[in-house]
Amino acid sequence: MIRKICCLFLLLVVYSSCQKSKAQKSVYPNHVGDTAFDEKIDDPNFKVCTTGRIPQYYEFGKSLQFKGEKPAIDKHFEILKQNESTAESGYITIRFIVNCEGKTGRYRIEEMSNDYQPMSFDKNLVEKILTLTKELSGWIVGGNPEQPVDYYQYLTFKIEGGKLIEIMP
Amino acid sequence: MTKSMLSAGRLVFVFLLTSLALVAYAEPNCNIYKMENNMPCYEACVLATTGGGEQGSRKSQEKFDKAIEQCPALDYAYMEKSVPYLKRGDFVTWKKLIDKAVELNPTLHLGYRGWCRYQFLRDYKGAIKDFERLDTLFPHDIGYSQNGDYQLTIVKALCYSAIGEKGKAIEIMETQLGKKGYSPMVYDYLHLGVLKMETGDLNGGIDFLTKSIALNDYLAEPYYYLGLIYKSKNLKAEYKTAMEKAKAYYLKGYKRFDPYTHPMHKVYLSDIDRELSIAQTF
Repeated sequence: MIRKICCLFLLLVVYSSCQKSKAQKSVYPNHVGDTAFDEKIDDPNFKVCTTGRIPQYYEFGKSLQFKGEKPAIDKHFEILKQNESTAESGYITIRFIVNCEGKTGRYRIEEMSNDYQPMSFDKNLVEKILTLTKELSGWIVGGNPEQPVDYYQYLTFKIEGGKLIEIMP
Repeated sequence: MTKSMLSAGRLVFVFLLTSLALVAYAEPNCNIYKMENNMPCYEACVLATTGGGEQGSRKSQEKFDKAIEQCPALDYAYMEKSVPYLKRGDFVTWKKLIDKAVELNPTLHLGYRGWCRYQFLRDYKGAIKDFERLDTLFPHDIGYSQNGDYQLTIVKALCYSAIGEKGKAIEIMETQLGKKGYSPMVYDYLHLGVLKMETGDLNGGIDFLTKSIALNDYLAEPYYYLGLIYKSKNLKAEYKTAMEKAKAYYLKGYKRFDPYTHPMHKVYLSDIDRELSIAQTF
């Protein structure tokens, strides 16, 4: 009997590890855009409150939620409109999580040329945009006051000749 | 004609427009493949349209991959697979996938790609290219935006205005609005009114912003821009009244809104408040 139970247990372990490796083989995360914690780059003090899927900002049907709305964000980045002219044009996207306390973390950067190809902007410009993004305070918590939730947000910066032209979304 | 008949007519009109927009981007009819005896594509199409999985989930993305593997010409699967990347800011991946959909079926996806370039990336020149290519395929009507708010020729005009060609933008809009059988969409007059204002035709601006209000009096924006025109004309009382109305409407939630992005010519509470404080001492 004990032998049978042991065999059954072993079978279960093998099956479970097969399932895990099957999931690991997928080229996709659980959801497109999911950002797992990376100890090399992420702040360990930044906590997410949601245990399951973290929704996207647009899923609340309220668009971007920031105190002072988009003009407050535009004003915060205004300094980048005065940048020195360079030959660089394209888009820099910073994606991050706004947690249930309105704090932000797990920043990821995507740089793209005007013809939608990956590219690398001047490191100083990217660093400046990232720092300014981290300094933004005014993100409105997702969900409702009784049940606040985390969410994914992104900001895309359209750059022309090294200067900031527009911020999206 | 009574007021109730008019409003019922307007509702039917809005419904028809919305339906048109939906028809333009509806799921494919998989039976077409069956009729052609193309069973691999029929099965792939059924999988892509009914296979389940939340948008952007692993299950959903893998489903589209399987469908594409089985039927590499299934443009619908490429298009649907691209959507979560667009909405979540991974534009490099989005573009690769939507380009493939456009390559396979330009008549169906060019307008959508152009609209997304405008809406999500403010890629005005790229959007114009798509719309102008679409013009050669459908000279009479290039279709509607994904959200049903615009006829795409109007979006093309907005792209021209954004790259500084405001005269050309006005000309395109006026031609579209003058076309036989074209019924103005909900924001057409607002944009044309703002463009008239920006090019110095203040009376033209008043005309079209007033028309915007007559078509849809649930927006703060036309009042705000009317207020700016009254300010330029030194009409103090009208300026203040228009801004007060804009604020009241804004606070009621009567304002431009899009769940994903910030629409062009949208106004914000801080814009209105700034003008109201100027109006106090004007």
